[in-house]
Amino acid sequence: MTNLLEVQNIHTFIGQFHILEGVSVDVLQGSITVLLGRNGAGKTTTLKSVMGLTPPSQGQILFAGEPLQGRRSYDIAAMGIGFVPEHRAIFRDLSVAENLKIAERCKGDLARKEEFIFGLFPDLKRLIKLPGTKLSGGQQQMLAIARALVPDNKLLLIDEPSEGLAPVLIEQMITAIQQLAANTTVLLVEQNFVVASKLAERYVIIEEGRSVKKGLMAELVNDQETIHRYLGAA
Amino acid sequence: MQSTIPPTETGREALRLFKENRGPLAMLLALILFPFFVALLDGQGPTAVLNNEIGNARFLQGLLIEIFILAIYALSYDLILGITGLLSFGHAMFFAVGAYLTGIAFKSFGWGVGPTLAAVIVAGIVQALLFGLVLPRVKGITFALVTLGFASVFEIIVKSNEMVAYTGADVGLQGVVVPAAWLNTSNERFRLYLIVLFFTFFVYLVYRRFVDSPTGRVCIATRENEGRAQMLGYNTFYFKLTALILSSITAAMAGFFHTVHQPIVSPAVAGLGWTVAALLMILMGGIGTLSGALVGAAIFRLLQFYLERWFGGNATFLIGLVYVLLVMFVPYGVVGTWQARRLDIQRGRERLLRLLHLRP
Amino acid sequence: MMAERLKKNRTRLIVLGILAVLFVSASQGMSTEDWVITVMRGLAVGAITFLVAAGFSLILGLMDVLNLAHGEMFMLGAYIGWTVYVRPDTFVDALTPLLLLAAGLMLMPVLGVWLGQRPLPGKVNQIWPWLGLAAALALLIYALRQWPLAMWNPGVFAESPATFSLAMSQGTMQLPAAAVATGLSPWLLLMLLGLGSTLLAAALVGMRLRGQTAVSAPYLSKSPLILAGGLALAGVFIFALNDGLTAWLYRLNHTALFALAIVVATAVGGLLGGLIESTLIRPLYKRPIYQIMLTLGISFITIELVRAIWGRPEFTMPKPEMFAGTGAGCGREVVSIVERLANQCATIFLFNGRIRTYNEIFIILMGLIVLVGVWLLLQRTRLGMIIRAGVQDSQMVEALGINVRRVFTLVFSLGVALAALGGVLAAPSIGLSNGMGGQFLLLALIALAIGGLTSYPGAAAGAVLVGLLQQFIIKYGQLGINLPFLAEPFKPSPPLVPASTVLFMVIILLLLPNGLFGRDE
Repeated sequence: MTNLLEVQNIHTFIGQFHILEGVSVDVLQGSITVLLGRNGAGKTTTLKSVMGLTPPSQGQILFAGEPLQGRRSYDIAAMGIGFVPEHRAIFRDLSVAENLKIAERCKGDLARKEEFIFGLFPDLKRLIKLPGTKLSGGQQQMLAIARALVPDNKLLLIDEPSEGLAPVLIEQMITAIQQLAANTTVLLVEQNFVVASKLAERYVIIEEGRSVKKGLMAELVNDQETIHRYLGAA
Repeated sequence: MQSTIPPTETGREALRLFKENRGPLAMLLALILFPFFVALLDGQGPTAVLNNEIGNARFLQGLLIEIFILAIYALSYDLILGITGLLSFGHAMFFAVGAYLTGIAFKSFGWGVGPTLAAVIVAGIVQALLFGLVLPRVKGITFALVTLGFASVFEIIVKSNEMVAYTGADVGLQGVVVPAAWLNTSNERFRLYLIVLFFTFFVYLVYRRFVDSPTGRVCIATRENEGRAQMLGYNTFYFKLTALILSSITAAMAGFFHTVHQPIVSPAVAGLGWTVAALLMILMGGIGTLSGALVGAAIFRLLQFYLERWFGGNATFLIGLVYVLLVMFVPYGVVGTWQARRLDIQRGRERLLRLLHLRP
Repeated sequence: MMAERLKKNRTRLIVLGILAVLFVSASQGMSTEDWVITVMRGLAVGAITFLVAAGFSLILGLMDVLNLAHGEMFMLGAYIGWTVYVRPDTFVDALTPLLLLAAGLMLMPVLGVWLGQRPLPGKVNQIWPWLGLAAALALLIYALRQWPLAMWNPGVFAESPATFSLAMSQGTMQLPAAAVATGLSPWLLLMLLGLGSTLLAAALVGMRLRGQTAVSAPYLSKSPLILAGGLALAGVFIFALNDGLTAWLYRLNHTALFALAIVVATAVGGLLGGLIESTLIRPLYKRPIYQIMLTLGISFITIELVRAIWGRPEFTMPKPEMFAGTGAGCGREVVSIVERLANQCATIFLFNGRIRTYNEIFIILMGLIVLVGVWLLLQRTRLGMIIRAGVQDSQMVEALGINVRRVFTLVFSLGVALAALGGVLAAPSIGLSNGMGGQFLLLALIALAIGGLTSYPGAAAGAVLVGLLQQFIIKYGQLGINLPFLAEPFKPSPPLVPASTVLFMVIILLLLPNGLFGRDE
């Protein structure tokens, strides 16, 4: 087993603020890895740094053995990384169909993946003509994930998929992510510890811009001390 | 010999204030002495300044007065744009109301300096309240457009033929006579120079103080993230209004001095171009730095003056070119870029010291 | 659902209702023909304003750039169009250097890859682009000063643009003598120009490479190379065939020449826009407020250049023949509009109102074509989809693997091209002046504020409203309004025209801060 993504001790500034002060994350090929930590610890910034949206000023990021520094976001995405941002950032002025179509990297991507995507999220097929504004929160989240599935991505970065969703929808979301993870590697940010423990095999805890602990999720679940120390009463 | 002054509370406070403002105070002293220096260089002798003799010293005082007035005006714009984050395209109106009111009060109403000053300040407050009326309704660029609307209406009133008796319409207000002999720019140049200089210094210190005050801090927070400032429990409207009123009074005062120094008011000071001038001044100096407004005003006027003198008709082209080059190579304005570099230099020095094991 | 939507849009509906009432009542104070004329003129002003506003709003929406030089790009379109139309010889003379320059700039991506693979040692890397730039500019200026360019002379009345315009409209235009090169042989100059352009492109590429540490996966596409070669070859051909081409253009009928002017002005606008975005605006996305200073600087420079080349005085541009007929078949006795259009009349009669075919029909028609064309582009193409998505969140678009920067350049270029098109269309109607840019930029800003700053339908609606309002106030300035309690009819004086549009904007913005069609944020 090899690491698909290796984040090695990165430092990221946003404006004058030193947000990441040494984060290292390894994502094993074919696994689901989750980033845990309190609000504002730097989890989202880590994903954005991988994506090149907030480029790190120090450290190294390797994707499938290739360094990502100096590359622009679109270039990084084209290497096969899909990004699902927090707050369900779908395009409100575009219809569901257009939201999917815009993610095509080669002509015909959508036609090829249609069956798989609508198999995961049957709702979207029904809503295909609606504009993004008319979707409910859960539908928007599904669309945001579906959008990342349109091109052939080797790695998905998913930021807070369960945020603000009703419990029933969270269950659906978990099933969907489990299914898509069958042939894609996933790096997840998740505040909800229960969801994280159901989905992920490995975890990395980020605390005040540093990665402080990593290991197998199965071990963390029983490690009450670590949970209390880094994640508060979960 | 030991100092005999007992270290009282006030004494210590004064000392602290002095230490904090060493730079500006040195600048003030240099500017007070500057005309004498020029007179000496010209071989006129220092008394020439006091006797108001024609020469370079007198001429440069005039140019500097113009720069000081521009600096006051630019400072007032930096307060609302750079500090509070309100983009207004109607700032020229703040200045023009002061300038026109002064001119009309002197010429048409025959008022003295005192009542005129009072009227200018009241007018400053009133127009800030007018802008404040729309503050809760419109944000960002829409606020800029609405204020542009207000200023355009004022400009059109000033230029309209119905008002020609007061404002001189397109030609502008001419032949204003300052009713106080001690304020006359041609006879008492050095006195006016000192008055405007001290006023600029005063405004700068007040603004510094304002920015460091709790109110000023909230204004900066509003600029950075209005939503967060509101969540912290501040009614940002009042803070923005405070900044607007302070800015408006200052700009109106700049207008007052403008009319006193140059007894002509051109309708150009009411136009969009005059707001743009303020914007350019603070951008060149460094937005949100206050001292940048002073530097920017100096650059602005000197560029205009000397390029026009040397290149005549081509000056505007060169000024445009200078703007483009400044944006490209002095990215955050003179003061802003210098501050950023200084941080870099400091960091570099610290790194060096650490490398040499002089510091942990 | 319906009731809810009604409630949400209550203010908007009330405002639209009041506008409709105003529009109807405005027709009461004047005769039908006056009304028809005023509406058509209002729509024409609206069409021009729309062409400026549409590009401005696309640029503002996608890139958050307040392009204050947009008005000057409009003006430049007019002056370039005039040159192609009235002085094709100058145009042909200037075309060769311009094509060579464009060919050089097209080489930039190729040079980027080539130079990126050959990194120079640190200090040399920092310095050579500057030296290269200086050398390139010196070379270009040296060659251009000697270049054979037949020109007008704004300083001498007999050779001023106004005189040439007059001669053309009277049909007494003579082909001016061809310019001859002074000093070096023209072929040598041609080579110097080519060399200078390539050096310029290399220097610009070098500047961009300075800041980069790693060059991402360089791949060489052949298309820029082919394009550059084609442009250079076209430049050389045009130079070789200069005299023949000039003579042919002079013999061309004015309508075809005008079509050429439109195409050239729009294309130059597009190229200029792309160049400005990729060299000057791109480094400034991180500090938005400084874009204002930059675009203002560009606008000052453009106005001064136009003054230096075409002079300060205003002048006109003759209308193409298709819209200039006044003789037989155009008298009052011909009734049918179709027949008058077929006779190429300058005016037609609509409900007895005298409508000028160019000013009020052709311009409105072009405005409509652009309106629909850009709308189709936005709604039906992938590029349009990316633009609409990018207006909301350009970072996310980039994270999908789309090179947003290239889209930025394209949209900036499109926006400036639309403004330049507006300029060349407006020129025969309103004439050419140094102030036309500022005037229409202000109108466009007002129109956008009314319609909703980044809304495309809003730009169209706002432009039409502003145009109508302006023309109705002007008309009532002549007619006077019979107001109750006033013995004399009230006549809005000329300064009230700009005041009325501005006031209208303030009122709309206070009622609807996001404009008529803007989305609530």
